[in-house]
Amino acid sequence: MDTIVVNHIAKSFGDTKAVKDVSFSVRPGEIFGLLGPNGSGKTTSIRVILDIYQPDHGTIQILDGPMNEEKMNHIGYLPEERGLYQDVELTRNLTYLATLKNMSKEDIEQKLPIWLDRFDLTEHEKKKTKELSKGMQQKAQLIAALIHDPEIIIIDEPFAALDPVNTQLVKDLLVELRNQGKTIIMCTHQMNQVEKLCDRLVLIDHGTVLLEGSLKAVQTRFATNQVLIQTDSDLPETLPGVQKIEEEGLFYRLTPSDGTTSRAILQQLIEEKISMNSFEIATPSLDEIFIKVVKEGRNGNEENN
Amino acid sequence: MKKIIDVAKYEYTHHVAKPRFWITLLGMPLGFLLIMALSVFFSFLSVDKEPVGYIDRADLIIQPQQKPEKIGFLELFIELVPYDNEAAARADAEQGLLQGYFVIPATYQSTYSVTYYGNSQPSSDVTSVINDLLRENLLLQEQIPNLARIEAGSQISLESLDGSQSSDGTGWHRLVVPIVIGMLYFILVMSCGGYLLQSLVEEKQNRTMEIMITSMSPNQLMAGKIIGNLGVGFTQILVWLVILGIGLLFFHNRLPFLSDLSLSPGYLAISLALLVLGFIVAAGLLATIGAAMSTMEEAQSINSLMVLPIMLPFYFFQSFFSNPNGTLPRVLSYFPLSAPFSLSLRMAFASIPTWEIIMVFTILVISVGLVFWLSGKAFRRGLLEYNKKLKLRDLLVKEANHG
Repeated sequence: MDTIVVNHIAKSFGDTKAVKDVSFSVRPGEIFGLLGPNGSGKTTSIRVILDIYQPDHGTIQILDGPMNEEKMNHIGYLPEERGLYQDVELTRNLTYLATLKNMSKEDIEQKLPIWLDRFDLTEHEKKKTKELSKGMQQKAQLIAALIHDPEIIIIDEPFAALDPVNTQLVKDLLVELRNQGKTIIMCTHQMNQVEKLCDRLVLIDHGTVLLEGSLKAVQTRFATNQVLIQTDSDLPETLPGVQKIEEEGLFYRLTPSDGTTSRAILQQLIEEKISMNSFEIATPSLDEIFIKVVKEGRNGNEENN
Repeated sequence: MKKIIDVAKYEYTHHVAKPRFWITLLGMPLGFLLIMALSVFFSFLSVDKEPVGYIDRADLIIQPQQKPEKIGFLELFIELVPYDNEAAARADAEQGLLQGYFVIPATYQSTYSVTYYGNSQPSSDVTSVINDLLRENLLLQEQIPNLARIEAGSQISLESLDGSQSSDGTGWHRLVVPIVIGMLYFILVMSCGGYLLQSLVEEKQNRTMEIMITSMSPNQLMAGKIIGNLGVGFTQILVWLVILGIGLLFFHNRLPFLSDLSLSPGYLAISLALLVLGFIVAAGLLATIGAAMSTMEEAQSINSLMVLPIMLPFYFFQSFFSNPNGTLPRVLSYFPLSAPFSLSLRMAFASIPTWEIIMVFTILVISVGLVFWLSGKAFRRGLLEYNKKLKLRDLLVKEANHG
């Protein structure tokens, strides 16, 4: 059963149509990427899901029905605009926010030290929020979103202020939570971060869905049969069955001629006695797909207009 | 309900735990008392307390001035010293032993005029002790029975036409309750309303609000904040009452009028209920302002406009005095923001029909509902508009179209 079902929602502010028509559904035990460029309607869609905004059209089903106070306790939310009391100690800040998610005092006292320890914040627990670095504040905000063990986790730009070490820490955590069966929506425009995490995704721009499906299906859909090879030898200018050879840093990107398979190219390279460190099928990166789809979408819109 | 209490608890402890709160809380009455005490002390010091001499050529003074057994601290007593001849009095005055002297001429009983000699004009305290001495001795000659009682004046009892209210005094002490209610209302709105506004704008600025309204409904959040801040206000009032109580314990002998103060529990209860409801309406409006504004400066400038309706009954105090059931006092007691002070004041001076009291309460309860509805809208629309302020039209029109 889907945990979240977004059905043709639309939301305007005055004359601005922030979300025109967005639909998708999210299942338990998956990380779902809500992707889109800045101003595409991601955050508004999330706020509609969270019942902060009422949609003009469309419906939202959360845990098999509309949002209510009880369901709010089962949602963990990391907003894009981080929110903690600046003049208040970290422990008090997090205790208060956890209380509002219906956690008992004993439960908080038991779980908070574990979370602080996991995020290396124990020694900062008596500091005021404003005394913490941006990265620390973001980790604290993540604790606020996760401490009550929510079934649904909605995180907006989770890696924005994190260094590589903490980014990995959060990625590992998200995978762990997915394996526990949580429903996770990750909202971002940083495609490289999503690539190895998301099971399924939806790409929106100008408030409409441009692309939806599993990561694998999306990548397959946009795959060309290009290959990437890494070699210390120089490649000849032309190779039989290869239409184009491009140098990309340490790699060469080979575009096969029509009807040529990647296997045939490999065969050809061996015959040419070219020593290779690596040979791989060039899967399009989400970044590339993102740019392609958004550009096509915008061109299409212009033509329609 | 639990979340409302959690928010209220946080709001309450957030303010009350700060040293700044206690410094303001204790500093205000102590500062006020200090200024009062200093002004009384300095005015006492500036009064000339030297004795005044007199020469009685009319043989009028049968009973000279009685010196009290004990003169209290800051109590003023100007001694009147009899002299046989003017030369001796003049010599003492010139030496500075007297601040001046007066001569009661032999013809006093026909002229009723005395002459005061001195280098400066006698203070009002001096002229009043002279007058008291002369009047008392004149009256003694008349052999009037019950003189003391006559001097004390008559007791006037008041009763309303329908017999529902009565008073055994001149009624001035009836002002105590409405004035206290009016002042508390003003202080509550200004200080606790200010805290409420500050906490909302702060939560909007530090983005905590987005977390808050994904944990509870906007109305729950606002109810919690209002209850918490009302608690802060009542703590303030309670501490001041304790300080006042301690003060009265020490000085009650000096304040005889307090024994005249008999308070009807019903009237007190109505006044307090008005105070709480009025505060909730004001707090709801402040919450709407706080949700719609994006900086504290903007919010404060709008907040200061709230002072006007709250202070209206103070500006038109005279109308309540002269005609408590007149049009203006009535209108002011129907208007939610001025109702607490106005109705309490009217009830002190006139008999208010029950239906009118019920109507004022109904207006207040409806207003509470309205401000909650309006601020709920402002929360949804305004709290996430971080960089721009919200217009009233946005609240009423746009959200209504789309919501």
